[in-house]
Amino acid sequence: MPHPASAPDGLIRLGEQPGLTTYLKNVWRRRTFAFENARGELHAQHMDTALGNAWHLLNPILLIGVYYLVFDVILNATRGVENFIVYLAVGVLAYHWAQKTVTAGAATIVSNEGLIRSLAFPRILLPLSTCVQHTYAFLPSLLVMIAVTFAFGERPGFGLLMVIPAFVLQVAFITGVSLLAARAADAFRDTLNLLPFLFRLVFYGSGILYAVDDRFHDAFAHPIVTFIFIANPFYALVSVWRSAVMSSQPIALLGWLWMSATIWSIAVLVIGLLVFRAGEAGYGRA
Amino acid sequence: MAVPNITVQLNQVNVTYRVYEDRRPRLRDRLTGGGSRPAFRSIHAVKDVSLTAYEKDVVGVIGRNGSGKSTLMKALAGLLPVSSGDVFATAQPTLLGVSAVLRPNLSGRRNIILGGLALGLTRAQIDAKTPEIIAFTGLNDFIDLPMRTYSSGMRARLHFAVATAVEPDILIVDEALSVGDEEFKRKSQERIEGMRSKAGTVFIVSHSLSTITQLCNRAIWLDKGVVVADGDTETVVNDYRTLANQGR
Repeated sequence: MPHPASAPDGLIRLGEQPGLTTYLKNVWRRRTFAFENARGELHAQHMDTALGNAWHLLNPILLIGVYYLVFDVILNATRGVENFIVYLAVGVLAYHWAQKTVTAGAATIVSNEGLIRSLAFPRILLPLSTCVQHTYAFLPSLLVMIAVTFAFGERPGFGLLMVIPAFVLQVAFITGVSLLAARAADAFRDTLNLLPFLFRLVFYGSGILYAVDDRFHDAFAHPIVTFIFIANPFYALVSVWRSAVMSSQPIALLGWLWMSATIWSIAVLVIGLLVFRAGEAGYGRA
Repeated sequence: MAVPNITVQLNQVNVTYRVYEDRRPRLRDRLTGGGSRPAFRSIHAVKDVSLTAYEKDVVGVIGRNGSGKSTLMKALAGLLPVSSGDVFATAQPTLLGVSAVLRPNLSGRRNIILGGLALGLTRAQIDAKTPEIIAFTGLNDFIDLPMRTYSSGMRARLHFAVATAVEPDILIVDEALSVGDEEFKRKSQERIEGMRSKAGTVFIVSHSLSTITQLCNRAIWLDKGVVVADGDTETVVNDYRTLANQGR
């Protein structure tokens, strides 16, 4: 039998990668799936609990409560920050959002094998849906974050509007990282075991629990250390969040940090999209 | 036109996948050092399969367990990547399998919405079709329960109803009919007949030879990933039955 390289009349080759524009159009046309799937998952998440959806609000409150108890009441730590509990709350909530999104996003291809093998659709909708889900789940945290800010005497004024670009940048960044992680986890399942440790490491290295400016005061004089912190996307993102909601704590080198956060977010989103798409045909293989 | 149009064409398709093998390392493996590493085994499930299907074809696919039927169907549906060869079709085929899980924690109703959206329908189109889909499934008040609480027959009904709501040109039914009751079988057969009359193509994988003879005009017999026979249903089914009865 001859082996035709191109499709016979009226037939299309299955499993072929559409061009980037067609691919994005297909995804855009089905975007409702990502939102509907996210809503369904959020809805089902706490369905079996007595408090139900109230957990979306209770989780960040309890989380901040524990940090408040340990660092403020018991340790009475200020670590050179005027309003340490707010500083901590903002960092912890923003970081948790990133961690949860990426950890869940990484598992999407692996955990949705059934769906992938049942229906044909652009697989990128699955990690995107996870990002939507965790971004929805972050909204109550954002309310808690702003409430804590005001409760502890911060008066950010119009500066508070900067939470909007901070939010947008973080959405772009964690979406990109999720896409990269999902592709990596599909190729090497071991990624899923490694991720929690990576996040823990970055947690300690991104000034969530301490003020970098203060702790590395002398070291900060060294341009390389300064560069490393500015170039750390997690430190940059957490810092722009802090600058938006806090009036008491000036953030050093804020302009550079905004720039770093912007460059990282755009670059990681674009690269994540391309890397995930390149693996599209192979997802669902045992 | 006397010659019917081709809807599906497979050229020398091979499917190989790699699975982790859970076995104790043998002494030889230990000596050669192979036992200390996780053992991955390549399964060559579909070997050099070529076939052509036409409009109004209802093709039965038969063969023993593990003969590569489901793998071939997944590859045909574009759900499992092929290692080599070409798969051509007039449109993206829709596959119905028993193991199909949509979203086990979500209700039947939410699964209808999600399935429809994944297939590219708009919310309005889905809302318009939902009553018809629910009527087809016969799930009634079960429709708002989480899908994990469904029996396999109920799941099959729902999946069948969702996947055929968009009227695919090419439908692949992988054992999905066998878990349903008589009423579901009748309904789904009606739908298959409807598709065929609209110049669609249907593939049916089944161990029930009576289902195959009843529905199909043509049958393909797979064994160990290779096509053993491809022809009219009577002949292929009889040959298969004869061999099966010999016990081999």
